[in-house]
Amino acid sequence: MISNLAVAILNGIVWGLIMALIALGLNMIFGLLHIINMAHGALYMLGAVVAWYVIELTGNFWIGLMVAPLCVGFIGLIIERGLIRTIEDKPIITIICTFGLMLAIQQLVLMIFGGSPRRISPPVAYRFPLFELQYPAMRIMIALISIAMMIGLWIFLRKTKYGLWMRAVVQDREMAVALGIPVTKVYMWTFVLGSALAAFSGVLAAPIVSVEFMMGREVLIMAFIIVIVGGMGNLEGSVIAAIMISLIQGVGALFVPPSIATVFALAFMIIVLLFRPQGLFGE
Amino acid sequence: MEKKSKKKAEVVLKKEISRRDFIKTTALGAAGLSLSSWAPVPFTYGAQPPIKVGMLNEYTVFATEYGYWLGKVGRAAIAKINAEGGIAGRKLELHEYDTKANPAWSASMCRKMILEDKVDLIMGSIHSGVHLACFPLIKQYKIPLFSGGSMTYEFTGKDSLSLHGGYYIRNHSHARSQAVAAWKFGFDNLGKKWTFLNADYAWGHSLAREFGSRVRAAGGKTQDIFAPPTTQDFIPFLQKVNPDTEVLFTAFLGSSGLGVLRQTVEVGLHKRLQRFTVICTTEGIGQEVVGKESIGAYYIEYHPRHLDQLPKELHPYEIAYRKAGGVDKDGKEVGNPKVTIAGSHMYSMWIYPYMIKLGIEQSGWKDSKKNMDLIKAICSLKLKAGPWCPVGDLVMREEDHQGFNDFYISRVEPDLKLKILEIIPKEKSMYEPETDLRKIV
Repeated sequence: MISNLAVAILNGIVWGLIMALIALGLNMIFGLLHIINMAHGALYMLGAVVAWYVIELTGNFWIGLMVAPLCVGFIGLIIERGLIRTIEDKPIITIICTFGLMLAIQQLVLMIFGGSPRRISPPVAYRFPLFELQYPAMRIMIALISIAMMIGLWIFLRKTKYGLWMRAVVQDREMAVALGIPVTKVYMWTFVLGSALAAFSGVLAAPIVSVEFMMGREVLIMAFIIVIVGGMGNLEGSVIAAIMISLIQGVGALFVPPSIATVFALAFMIIVLLFRPQGLFGE
Repeated sequence: MEKKSKKKAEVVLKKEISRRDFIKTTALGAAGLSLSSWAPVPFTYGAQPPIKVGMLNEYTVFATEYGYWLGKVGRAAIAKINAEGGIAGRKLELHEYDTKANPAWSASMCRKMILEDKVDLIMGSIHSGVHLACFPLIKQYKIPLFSGGSMTYEFTGKDSLSLHGGYYIRNHSHARSQAVAAWKFGFDNLGKKWTFLNADYAWGHSLAREFGSRVRAAGGKTQDIFAPPTTQDFIPFLQKVNPDTEVLFTAFLGSSGLGVLRQTVEVGLHKRLQRFTVICTTEGIGQEVVGKESIGAYYIEYHPRHLDQLPKELHPYEIAYRKAGGVDKDGKEVGNPKVTIAGSHMYSMWIYPYMIKLGIEQSGWKDSKKNMDLIKAICSLKLKAGPWCPVGDLVMREEDHQGFNDFYISRVEPDLKLKILEIIPKEKSMYEPETDLRKIV
């Protein structure tokens, strides 16, 4: 039992870190732009699809990991300038619009990429023994890359001029404009960064899951739950919430059927919302 | 000019016809007529109304790897029937819709086909939920529905009459016939202690119940683990597998089917147990996509993916069938080797148009008034292997409108090929019918 618990905790943390990376992009866009980006899961999927093509061409996972976020970030730029900017002050319209965008991206990928799942081979095949099972080293590596990305993002937000601008815009948009901060540019680059983060996590997750046009669907729901529990706009909160929810699901599945364990995670969200409607770490 | 042609006409009219001329002309005419009956008859459009065939498949959202192939093969079969003169001189007219893997949407498309397109019959879809949603409509409007690949055995079980009124026909296998055919191979060759790690919905439960009950009845042990159908991380479930498990039976679709096979190897379980699954798990997905993690896994196939794994006597039919569907010898799409066939499912759509043709010819069907006669004729067919039946002999059973053909047990070899180890004749997949639809008038 202890061995099962240890595996469940390790796996919960690893999976939680991957989910945290996905939720971070979603939360950044919401925190700054107040846009609930329904297309975030589709951008995550697009990252994996682009990486699949790059890896097919080059045979190198790491090139795919670099190129896909850049490509999807560029697509994010087009989306922000061509679509989001014109409707950014209308929350309901943005939800409908990004939902439509999600469907369009999915169907486009279905047409070009096809409906069958494809595989991205893990760049690290090593497995280490963990009680009665083996555990893939690739998952630990993905978790470490996620942590590195989060630290990088934290440094970017706390220690760079651009990060300062972003935080200023979140706090008081009018004051930021008055102080000469290029708010529209900050909006644009935030959306680009959020899209690139979604793509980056899509590539990282691809060796574990499979690449297919619907892969963003499940992830999007969980990412929203994480953002709500962690607190909308609170990035540290997203990381902690992601790990907590993954642990609840993973450890819970040891004792009850997995569907019930998922219900536990949802019940946790409801309890948090009842007592802290702003989320665990929201203000 | 006008005078000249008038004169010519008068000559022709006045010309006396000799007996020799009469016999010669009549003989030539008769020969021409009999020869024309041997040649393909081009349609005289508008002479007879077309037979309208509705087709529903999963083209978007979920199970698209199935929908793509069922649609492609269904269209090819209808085109072939039309090229060969149609059915009773009538052209088949196709009305095609996407189910979006959504039962409610599919029911509205089914209604549209029946009431607006006025289809005579409907075929397609591997989605049991889609069929279930269409049942009230086909029952109400008495329209035959030919299953593309739904695996719920109850649809041809004891509640058939109340479910669909006998208007549902299935020429392919399902969870029960698969279990009846293949459980013994697994029990005798792979192990007596089984764990089922299946999708937590009707199909996964059906397979666990059907295989599990037979394993237990033979003195084996079973454990059931159900995971959400779209699970991506299987480690929480794989760690619950009993340590003494000898056979891990898995049933998931699409990327989850891929994930469970790969992650079983990632955690090292493949070293201490045998993996057994139905081909549905990787239909439309090449073994090279699953990767070397699939080596050693056992599959139950309903029609082999690789041409050379098929019995030699079926090769000529299979080659022609594959040519019509644009499929190569390794089960890849011609010109697009990244796309793998849903070979154990799509044959249903190739055979149905031919079954419909035979049924119409035998029953003298002309319109929906004789739909039940048509269904009875179709469900009493005993098809022999041939260009229209590349899967070998296929027997339809009148009692429950269920079809049976041979099964294959295969194993993934180091070259990632599905090698057939055993052919299970259709007779060994048959079970007692639970209903008798012959009584319907």
